Amino acid sequence: MLGNLLDDERFEQEALCWLPDVTRYAMSLAREEAGAEDLVQDTFLLACERWHQFEPGSQCRAWLFTICRNRFYRSHRRDERIVAADTPELEALAAATLHASARSSGLDEIFARTEVLEAIDAAIAALPATFRDVVLLVDVHDHAYEAAAVVLDVPIGTVRSRLFRARRLLQETLLVHARDAGIGTRAVAPSSEEAKA
Amino acid sequence: MKPMLDCDAVMRQLWDYLDGELTADRMAAIREHMKVCDRCHPQAAFETQFLAALASARHEHSNPSELARRVRAALVARGFASA
Repeated sequence: MLGNLLDDERFEQEALCWLPDVTRYAMSLAREEAGAEDLVQDTFLLACERWHQFEPGSQCRAWLFTICRNRFYRSHRRDERIVAADTPELEALAAATLHASARSSGLDEIFARTEVLEAIDAAIAALPATFRDVVLLVDVHDHAYEAAAVVLDVPIGTVRSRLFRARRLLQETLLVHARDAGIGTRAVAPSSEEAKA
Repeated sequence: MKPMLDCDAVMRQLWDYLDGELTADRMAAIREHMKVCDRCHPQAAFETQFLAALASARHEHSNPSELARRVRAALVARGFASA
């Protein structure tokens, strides 16, 4: 496409407008600026070369994120640890149990605590790649399930199950972190409803 | 008139609801349930705070305009006409 003025104008309008978003995503993947800069540049050069493959009307942001993620994993070993995930509905119900546990420890407001916010980056980074990928796309970079499915090349149902499992893993990690940091040591007996659960 | 959802049904779809991934009817039904349910509302508030915390893990580049300039320069060097 290079040098074709009409194609280049389309690339300018449809792809380059996502440069700030791709930069933030590259920052999440590389976790340092120099690596992120190389990743962003590689992403747009490759996107420009392959612009003829982009289907007009499809999600350009998801297409660029796909290229960015693929470029990143070309040079970084992907952690392929397998963690079993329950069905999305069971994961959602497990989140309710976890909330009850947090409440009983006086940790209702845990996710507003600075100490916990500071631990989130490390907790996300420590997730197996399968789960980290989906958390970064949906929770950190605000993709809908459908767009995340495009980037990861998996069905939407897989996005949901991985996402809900990842959220539970993160909450468990952050609750342990909070308790280790001495936050929320208030001894509160579970409510009768929680005790029955 | 449709029957109110029970708590179990709401809990099973809480993440989908908070992510805005349900149909408009289902979103409205859960929203109505939340208004009157002392059990589900605190759970939703807890998860909303969690999702906001995760969103805070998005980091900005220290000089995005300079990076954008360099990306555009690299594209022009490859023959890109519009950058």
